[in-house]
Amino acid sequence: MASRIGGCRRPFLLLFLLSLASQTAFSWKKDEFRNCNQTPFCKRARSRKPGYCTLIADQVSISDGLLTAKLIPRPIPNQAEGEEDHQQIAKPLLLSVAIYQGGILRLKIDEDPTLDPPKTRFQVPEVVVSEFDETMLWLSRVSTETLDGDSAPSSVVYLSDGYEAVLRHDPFELYVRDKSSKSRLVSLNSHQLFDFEELRVKNEGEEWEERFKGHTDIRPYGPQSISFDVSFYGAEFVSGLPEHATSLALKPTKGPGADDSEPYRLFNLDVFEYLHESPFGLYGSIPLMIALGKSGKTSGFFWLNSAEMQIDVLAEGWNADSGLSLPSDQKRIDTLWMSEAGIVDAFFFAGAGPKDVVSQYTAVTGKPAMPQHFATAYHQCRWNYRDEEDVENVDAKFDEHDIPYDVLWLDIEHTDGKRYMTWDSVMFPHPEEMQKKLAAKGRHMVTIVDPHIKRDDNYYIHKEASEKGYYVKDSSGKDFDGWCWPGSSSYLDVLSPEVRSWFSDKFGFDSYKGSTPSLYIWNDMNEPSVFNGPEISMPRDALHFGGVEHRELHNAYGYFYHMATSNGLVKRGDGKDRPFVLSRAFFAGTQRFGSVWTGDNTADWDHLRASVPMILTLGLSGISFSGADVGGFFGNPEPELLVRWYQLGAFYPFFRAHAHQDTKRREPWLFGERNTKLIRQAIHVRYMLLPYFYTVFRESNTTGLPIMRPLWMEFPSDEATFNNDEAFMVGSSLLVQGIYTERAKHVSVYLPGKELWYDLLSGSQYKGSQTHKLVALEDRIPAFQRAGTIIPRKDRYRRSSTQMVNDPYTLVIALNSSRAAEGELYIDDGKSFEFLQGAYIHRRFVFSNGKLTSLDLTPNNKKSKFTSQTVIERIILLGYSPGPKNALIKPGNEKVEVGLGPLVFETGLGSSSLVVTIRKPSLPVDKDWTVELV
Amino acid sequence: MKVAFFLSIAILSLLASWSSSSPSVSFLGIAPQDENYFRKETIKCRNGSRKFTKAQLNDDFCDCLDGTDEPGTSACPEGKFYCRNVGHLPTSLYSSMVNDGICDCCDGSDEYDGKVKCRNTCWEAGKKARDKLQKLIDMYREGVTIRKREVEQAKEAISKDKAELSVLKAEEKSLDKLVNQLKVRKEQIEKAEGKEQLEKDNEDRSNADVEENFETTEASGKEDSLTSEDDVIGLVEQDESKSEHEDTNVAEDGSESIEDMSKEEIGRLVASRWTGERTGQVEETGSGADSNEGKDGSLNKPSDGDSKTNAYDHHQSSITDDLDSSSVVHEPGLDKQTQFLGFTIHIQSWLRKMQDVSQNLLRSVSWFSSPLDNLDADKIREEYKESTARLSSAQERISSLTEKLKHDLGVDGEFYTLYGQCFETKQDKYVYKICPFKEAVQEEGQYHKTQLGYWEKFEESYSAMLFSNGAGCWNGPRRSIKVKLRCGLKTELTDVDEPSRCEYLAVLSTPLGCLDGKLKELEGKLEMLQKEKPEGHDEL
Repeated sequence: MASRIGGCRRPFLLLFLLSLASQTAFSWKKDEFRNCNQTPFCKRARSRKPGYCTLIADQVSISDGLLTAKLIPRPIPNQAEGEEDHQQIAKPLLLSVAIYQGGILRLKIDEDPTLDPPKTRFQVPEVVVSEFDETMLWLSRVSTETLDGDSAPSSVVYLSDGYEAVLRHDPFELYVRDKSSKSRLVSLNSHQLFDFEELRVKNEGEEWEERFKGHTDIRPYGPQSISFDVSFYGAEFVSGLPEHATSLALKPTKGPGADDSEPYRLFNLDVFEYLHESPFGLYGSIPLMIALGKSGKTSGFFWLNSAEMQIDVLAEGWNADSGLSLPSDQKRIDTLWMSEAGIVDAFFFAGAGPKDVVSQYTAVTGKPAMPQHFATAYHQCRWNYRDEEDVENVDAKFDEHDIPYDVLWLDIEHTDGKRYMTWDSVMFPHPEEMQKKLAAKGRHMVTIVDPHIKRDDNYYIHKEASEKGYYVKDSSGKDFDGWCWPGSSSYLDVLSPEVRSWFSDKFGFDSYKGSTPSLYIWNDMNEPSVFNGPEISMPRDALHFGGVEHRELHNAYGYFYHMATSNGLVKRGDGKDRPFVLSRAFFAGTQRFGSVWTGDNTADWDHLRASVPMILTLGLSGISFSGADVGGFFGNPEPELLVRWYQLGAFYPFFRAHAHQDTKRREPWLFGERNTKLIRQAIHVRYMLLPYFYTVFRESNTTGLPIMRPLWMEFPSDEATFNNDEAFMVGSSLLVQGIYTERAKHVSVYLPGKELWYDLLSGSQYKGSQTHKLVALEDRIPAFQRAGTIIPRKDRYRRSSTQMVNDPYTLVIALNSSRAAEGELYIDDGKSFEFLQGAYIHRRFVFSNGKLTSLDLTPNNKKSKFTSQTVIERIILLGYSPGPKNALIKPGNEKVEVGLGPLVFETGLGSSSLVVTIRKPSLPVDKDWTVELV
Repeated sequence: MKVAFFLSIAILSLLASWSSSSPSVSFLGIAPQDENYFRKETIKCRNGSRKFTKAQLNDDFCDCLDGTDEPGTSACPEGKFYCRNVGHLPTSLYSSMVNDGICDCCDGSDEYDGKVKCRNTCWEAGKKARDKLQKLIDMYREGVTIRKREVEQAKEAISKDKAELSVLKAEEKSLDKLVNQLKVRKEQIEKAEGKEQLEKDNEDRSNADVEENFETTEASGKEDSLTSEDDVIGLVEQDESKSEHEDTNVAEDGSESIEDMSKEEIGRLVASRWTGERTGQVEETGSGADSNEGKDGSLNKPSDGDSKTNAYDHHQSSITDDLDSSSVVHEPGLDKQTQFLGFTIHIQSWLRKMQDVSQNLLRSVSWFSSPLDNLDADKIREEYKESTARLSSAQERISSLTEKLKHDLGVDGEFYTLYGQCFETKQDKYVYKICPFKEAVQEEGQYHKTQLGYWEKFEESYSAMLFSNGAGCWNGPRRSIKVKLRCGLKTELTDVDEPSRCEYLAVLSTPLGCLDGKLKELEGKLEMLQKEKPEGHDEL
């Protein structure tokens, strides 16, 4: 490769590379990325003072079921001498407020198309799901009132049973308030920082170009940014805005105590060796913020806009000298939102609890896709499994060591010169045979397909794409040519539905040679990563379908690529096979297309720790199927770190080990017998819990709730959970606390709520509402089952989850103080979309008064049916004092034995003490029955 | 309940198909030698934790954590399933593989729930295994014989070397003495000559100049070369520090430099962060440039290279400069050795003769005769020169022998035969070259050489050789290679692999890998395989 570099430059380049090599090991290239000061719209917006906005709402009325108004500059009758007259806008802006079922308000502000703007501003298409549009409430009534001290009236419309929306005319302000107490929940422009730069025609001599690190952005439409302030009332903290490697509760970025901080940046970037604590933008962006207050009162705000965004969380006292007064009896968190382009298309979520907000947000952007069952199990990845022999050896070793795994992944090196959907003919001469061998063991394979297309006329994808004009164009209108893994590359313009449709056809078995039905896909580098582009990405003035500038679309590029890939897999399987596509870049709505992971993390304890708030934040933002690379991508983890990572990763929704190609091999059996056993146990815990995980995945699929949840989502009124992002819930029944330090002797874990908790593996009881200092064990991290819950398990491990289908279940009943418990079990075929027609088993198990009942949760009007021969082989009762010798099963009146047995079936895990066990009840999983202890 | 029913059907059908010698149903998955343990009415879990009844044995419900009660089902994760595999070797499976729909035992006994039908392949597989094993044993037998011979030869050679070394050491002493005497005499002569010269000075000044020059060169010849080498090293260091300096400049002003680069260069540069590819290339060029490409080489040297190692490398590469490319390469050093062997044999007579000559010479040259007898002076000089040369080659030989013998040459010194040899294999575009006790390199074309490691030690009780501390890897370890020894009739390098980036693994097949113990083990295994032969089948 080096030989291709021009002769005279070579020595210099070598030196440069040498110096690079010595730096790379340490940190990301801060200088390569723009900070707020280097980003004109951010710098301008951030320097404005409260009261800047002079707009008022005019012509407020109801039309077509919406509350509409025009934003115009406030007339100034007696302007004082010398006072600067800043006309914010030249033409009135159109404002509309729509109300949707379930407490959702949508605010749009855009330029008036009838006033002949130079260009239509970009609205992100295909993020808001069509079902959501159908839930709009047709407004017919608006009431007006004049707030204390106001000269102009405010318009009030219905939002939900508990809330109403208020549009204050002068100054322009929009907020949601409690109907009865009139206290505010969330508001926009209360500090009058709203600004909207209208598109203009360039004046003579005006300088619109922007330069950064040798890249020039011609900015043909000039400045077009939008910014405003949003306040959350009664909020103790705010959360959201993935993706950042930072705490779950977002720290202030401006104001007292936070003077040097950058705002939270939302700009999808391929960041080399990212820091574990930084407001800097990473691979994906979701402009959603959730605020939580005392007693669990929650609200949310989502700005649907895919241009670069910067958001400040303002520290208390940031506006001490502003002179503006807001309702002072309410604690409040103020935030400042700034975007380079687009329109205001903002959603207010009225809660009232954290689960409601997530449910409201996912009503707008869609519920997470139901994954195939195998995808919820363990994935083995590495850059790279080199050849077919390597694949075969790794696969065989898992069997040799009795470690289950479901998916083997191939990174970029498997291709013919980074031409995706091709194979290296030397390393992978028989790809189909290789996949079939894995499939014979119930295992799957994933190959990588990235959006950069090698500019090689002999490459069929490039040939077709360039002939059809399917590439993103540069500012001059030519196919954009950037550098990525394959060298000179172009990028599919996935904003175009036609390009997406064409690209998705490429996943057909006839087109993607060497692919088989057990092959699924991984999208990487879809920020998009462009090695020689500004900030390692695409120039902002590159052009997309419909004349959309890349700056307007940037954060959603990866989303559309992921969409095309996912749709491709659906097409491939004739709509009968659920797709599995992992993506690195994401945007609001990504949850409908697959899972994401937190990118190129590092093998150190800080990154292990950072993975939890990162995944939690993704979950709050709809992306419930996510995980971090187990072991850390860069660097070599010490065995202890690797083991701890497996123990934590076993509870990630997406559980995959991955490593950089320069790291030492780290398959589970490479660190001695003891560590192999520890890793096997960690993976076994995941496989044991797969029935529970799959049930929670289904819950997520129907409600939008995360798999992995902050404690406060389950215990919103327990304030001790508000700052806790080191422990988390899996579903509503399981609490997990990671161990994030080397050679930890002890680990503290806070157990929320009033009820007891049972150690997941030993059954020991712990009191709620307490912090427990536990001995840190080598073989596991603390995990607890919540009293009052029933968790379904499978206690037989297999090569892969595929062979577990017919294995019997165990139910673990953890009794609460009223000796009762409840839980659910969801089962379907694990693959197809038949479940959408009702082809599934969904049971609710209720235990009370010494009797366990299995109830059917499936609707009556099912078009399709799913049956299973599987039985429940064991029922374990935690918190039940031994006594009964028998249990009576109805129907049938069969008596089965009750005795003592182990809680988990692996030596060393758990404790030697035995628990009450109903032995071999052999209950059919798809039938109604009761089991009564007698 | 349905599963239980299925199970009993499956077991019944199994019963029907099994001959009378098969274990009874409840003994499914139990090795014959263990059956007695399970004959009692109450059975203990092997870990002693609890007891279970005979009815609970293989009832598809796990009672013992260690799986004692479920050897024939998948109910206990820690259980082991014994397949008899009549016709082949019996094996023990993880219980996770019982009734999982995949045939694992060649007799198919692990899949009895009726979901899949497994063909009994034990006889075919067993025959294949036996044949293979027989071939392996045959090879081992021959290999073990060769190995014995080689061990004997090695022992002999080592003792010869040791003898030579002690002789050489003794002679070094006498030679040293002689050289000293000659030196004294030579200096005296030269002093006298000097006087004479002085007198002649006026007559022929230019002539004297020439002679003086000549002398200086001769006297300090050796030192001279050292100095010049020092200079070279100094130069290198200077270059390095200079380049480091430039590095910092570049680093400080990185942005500007990036702007100077073409788009393609930037792309490559950024890509290299993840791959380290070009940085790696640079280093490789660096080690390749060891073959004296001068300035370029010094510029590209791995920045954190151990200077000692480099010196060693330099020294070594001068010896190995012109190796031919056959798969076994004898180093020039070996030729030297043969030469020296001759030398040793004749050394005593030669030495005596030389001493005689010298003594005669010393006596015959008159001290004060003037003008000096030019012939005698020349003779002294010549003698001195010759004995100095002899001394230094004796010393060189001593040090090379000492070097060789200080190595760990194996329990019986058997690896003596590998000393000074190199083995090569070509894979893809690379040639891998392993020189035991020295180094391992990867060559790409003529000029591209990557150091995979320097000799470190034997590992795994002499079944593997480890070369470590090779060229550094980007963001990774320094390269290293482990060479496993495998029994073979010829010594040759077979597989080379890079299982983990920059950690190589190679196999050297050699008679030295044919161990008697292993042979006995294989023979034992074959015997067992043949014992399992079912009736009704004949090997022929």
